[in-house]
Amino acid sequence: MKAGHRKERIDRGIKVRADEIFAISSYREILYLMGPRLLAIMGLLLFPLFRDVTGAYWQTVGFIACIIALLALSWNFLFSVGLVSLGQAFFFGVGAYFTGYFNHFLGLGPLFSIPLATVCGAVLCTIVIFPVLRLRGIYFALITFALPLFLMRIIEATGYLGGTEGISGLQRLPGLTFSVYVSVVVVLAVTFIYLRFFDTDYGLVLRAIHDNDMSVLAGGLSVQWYKAQAVFIAALPATFAGALMTHHYRIVGMPAFAMEYSILPLTAAVVGGTGTFAGGVLGAFILVPFSEMLRAFGTLRIVMYSALLLLFVVGLPEGIYRFAQRKYFQFERIVPLEEEKQ
Amino acid sequence: MLDIKSLMVFYENALAVNNLNLDVRKGEIVGVFGSNSAGKTTLINTIAGLTLHLKWREQRKGGQRITIVGAQLFEDEDIGKLSPSERVKKGIVLCRERHPVFRDLAVEENLRLGGFLIKNQAKVKKSIDLVYSIFPPLTKLKTRKAGLCSGGEQEMIAIGMALVARPKLLLLDEPLLGLSPAMQAIVVQALKDIRKLEVTVLLTEQYARPIMPHIDRGFIIENGTLIMSGTQEELMDNPEVISAYFGM
Repeated sequence: MKAGHRKERIDRGIKVRADEIFAISSYREILYLMGPRLLAIMGLLLFPLFRDVTGAYWQTVGFIACIIALLALSWNFLFSVGLVSLGQAFFFGVGAYFTGYFNHFLGLGPLFSIPLATVCGAVLCTIVIFPVLRLRGIYFALITFALPLFLMRIIEATGYLGGTEGISGLQRLPGLTFSVYVSVVVVLAVTFIYLRFFDTDYGLVLRAIHDNDMSVLAGGLSVQWYKAQAVFIAALPATFAGALMTHHYRIVGMPAFAMEYSILPLTAAVVGGTGTFAGGVLGAFILVPFSEMLRAFGTLRIVMYSALLLLFVVGLPEGIYRFAQRKYFQFERIVPLEEEKQ
Repeated sequence: MLDIKSLMVFYENALAVNNLNLDVRKGEIVGVFGSNSAGKTTLINTIAGLTLHLKWREQRKGGQRITIVGAQLFEDEDIGKLSPSERVKKGIVLCRERHPVFRDLAVEENLRLGGFLIKNQAKVKKSIDLVYSIFPPLTKLKTRKAGLCSGGEQEMIAIGMALVARPKLLLLDEPLLGLSPAMQAIVVQALKDIRKLEVTVLLTEQYARPIMPHIDRGFIIENGTLIMSGTQEELMDNPEVISAYFGM
């Protein structure tokens, strides 16, 4: 860089016109704003139609990516309220077992068992987590980490809900394409709703709790109660993911509480950018196929996977999404140093 | 001793320090005065190297872009590219604003940490005793946790820690912030003692009145720009300065 100059980072023309309102004057600008979103939405919606091209294997990978994306969305929601969860498998497993129970023991079809399991699971999760909501940071993370292991061992020890063998022979869903479609639509809907939700006044309170819960308390609001509501809202997509996956595979067992349902969403959120909903989804759609591709390397897979994560945490802590967003909406130029005249 | 020439600091595109020239001679106490957002803290953090560190950190995580240009000379040596730790080894020690102390450590332990870089234990012991003599109230609090001390006591600990590090140039960022007038008097009194130790002091403050009688020269900055500088007498005689920074 030349002496007497510095690099400046500014927003691209269209964003400068107003802080909150976009003044759009041409199709080009509409495309600039909507392009990336439409591309992502269309890509997700069209993906299940190309089953002949991708084959059932990659369709299933896409389905699992959606499941992880839902868990990542849930993780990001909790993170935005200042709760760091290491136990997304807890929500996932509770949703899975509820739907298994409803379908097998009560004979409800998937049309009823999945929504019911989603809501009941979220309620149960909230009740279980409620007493520990006062904990913060690492203590809350540890409790959530322990919860899925706890439930898993209870089921193993008591033999209740199928014990080690799980509940199998659940009612089938119409097919793979149907499952993929449902998951894709729900991922898109949850992303949209969460994004909008955080812009409402209610969402503002939740974001304030993330920033400074003492001030919220001083403002006369019950942090505990708001956090409980947040856990419920965050649990919904995760329990739904568990319920859908259970019906898709027609079996629910102890692996529903497996560690990978805790770790994968977390890493997806980190890779995509913590606190960004779209980032978590993006992270899931990068990580899940990537980890499938690495299967060819056998045991080395975990090594490469870990190396990639390390690379991301050290090299790009802001996450892919924020990085891409910045590059897309801002550009850099070299300007001469000018002092401001008083 | 310290020579800052046309220093400019940008946080992204916002100018925090604007073409600032400042010099500190050996043995002086120099004050930098200005209101909130004048750029005092940025200036003093830049001299201590913290802004440079922040710049690296932000660069790595792709956050704010900080630009620092201009010459920073300490004892005729360019320190502009040195990390904070290297600057401390050269004798520039900063005591940050809002009395930062290690809350869970005892007062004595806090002070000992200040002398961590000095290998000679006897020397550290002597420095700590010196701090106790400068701030007598601390003598009774040796074993108390620093977090349980009052704001004024914490400020004493913070300045004490900086002193134990044996600075040539001591940077004090708003040493009187949030202190009662009585506590302010103790800190100002300590300033006189510090001068006797042949430590050069550069301090910043919003409200100049308690500290003005004890400085040699002062700089007044507004919006990052130097608007006036002079000796104590020159500043005290200026009606504008008096109305703006003395509250009279």
